[in-house]
Amino acid sequence: MLTIENLYVRYGQIEVLHGVSLDVGESEIVAVLGANGAGKSTLIKTIIGWARPAKGECRLNGEVINALPAWERVKRGLAIVPESGRLFRELSVEDNLRLGAYLREEQETKKQMEVVFNLFPILAERRKQIAKTLSGGEQQMLAIGRAMMSNPRLLLIDEVSMGLMPILVKRVFQVIQELPQHQVSVLLVEQNAFEALKIVHRAYVLENGHIVLEGKAQELADNPLVKAAYLGG
Amino acid sequence: MLLLQNLSNALILACTYILMAAGLTMVYGVLKVLHIAHASVYTVGAFVGVLAFTRLGNFWVALAIAMFVSGIFGVLIYRSTYFYLLNSPRTVPLIASVGMFVMFTDLLQKPFLMGAYQRAFPAGGAGLPAVKTALFSFTAKQVLILLVTVILLAIVYVILTRTKLGLSWQAASMDRDMASAVGVNLNQSIAANFFLGSALAGAAGVLVGVYNNSVFATMGDLPSYKAFIIIVLGGMGSLPGAILASLILAIVENFLVASIGYVLPRDSIAFLVLILMLMFRPNGLLGRE
Repeated sequence: MLTIENLYVRYGQIEVLHGVSLDVGESEIVAVLGANGAGKSTLIKTIIGWARPAKGECRLNGEVINALPAWERVKRGLAIVPESGRLFRELSVEDNLRLGAYLREEQETKKQMEVVFNLFPILAERRKQIAKTLSGGEQQMLAIGRAMMSNPRLLLIDEVSMGLMPILVKRVFQVIQELPQHQVSVLLVEQNAFEALKIVHRAYVLENGHIVLEGKAQELADNPLVKAAYLGG
Repeated sequence: MLLLQNLSNALILACTYILMAAGLTMVYGVLKVLHIAHASVYTVGAFVGVLAFTRLGNFWVALAIAMFVSGIFGVLIYRSTYFYLLNSPRTVPLIASVGMFVMFTDLLQKPFLMGAYQRAFPAGGAGLPAVKTALFSFTAKQVLILLVTVILLAIVYVILTRTKLGLSWQAASMDRDMASAVGVNLNQSIAANFFLGSALAGAAGVLVGVYNNSVFATMGDLPSYKAFIIIVLGGMGSLPGAILASLILAIVENFLVASIGYVLPRDSIAFLVLILMLMFRPNGLLGRE
């Protein structure tokens, strides 16, 4: 589905990613774990098209997407739940969802909105409410719902657990875990390694812009280095 | 009676302000650029309008042609300049905009374009009737301005609130990158935004040209800063705010000119209003946050 090869990304003079390679298969959930500043968000931003790689390749279903603007990537099946949601704050819940389905027909949009409302019933109750008036958890659900509206093949999720109550983290991760049943792959970037490793199939550990470890979720959860650095011993 | 007549005159003045400021507000919303060269679009609109009218003799056809050409002109300004400056600090496109405005004004004064003289735009009221009641009256020209403004604003309102395109502008005005990441083709969306906003400026140019029966190369100078007063007063990027500010400014100008006009010229009154308003509402009338 997604293949990243030897990716280098710079902001001005500062190089953030130094030759990152990873891949996400069909209907697979993959996590990229790492501390603050490891380059996780940069990785996600490069995949959606908000940052340009200096070197290396992003391939989506075999096609090199390095130079495509974000909307072209959305057309090819990518969607993003960005860090802190980045909702269209002055617009209603419904309009946010409608924008999520920007490239789809009116008929499909309505159907997909029902799917999202089934996933997060609270959003249906708040459909006319302005996004910025939602609670933190509701905003996060709306961000996920908006991304689901395009019926993506690969969902990029950036720090979805940040600032959420533990009970909501569980709920959100439960939703993510069910995505492969709908033929959606997920690339998840997380600081919360403990919760993430419970639901993903595979994971990579990113440190200072390098992938230092990769493996099946269980292997990583048992790895003493990971335990010490990310799982609190 | 005098009061009502003053109010109806102010309304007509406000209409031309609104058409001019609406386009600026739309552009500011999406690009966060203070598009000074918008006033050049206004002048070009008036110029194309008067040329089309003298050749074809039909005001409505001339208006349509002028709006279309103005729209294209606006899109060209965007694609040739702002497009390349989207990620620069905001002062860069601002300076580019001032540069373009000065350049276009100079260019338009060349003899092969508008020259340094005024052209008459004798379209009158385009066949519309004058309205006369006991309390107030509108000349045919005023009826024309009112009618065109109301129709155009209704069109803008429908596009903004009822179409995907309008939704994409609202999204882009809040978070351009995120709009792109839900599938909005920013190039097309912003170009369409410029087209509509510039077409409105062109219409304003035509209407003012007809109203004063005069079109000339520097006619955009005054609107170039008047429109800014309006979008700052209204709250940057707020269309309802711009409409409200246009009405207030026009009313204040009309009444103060009638009373203290011999001390202060009309256009300095506009700035006085701006300064006073900003002292009490720094974010404008309907500004966000």
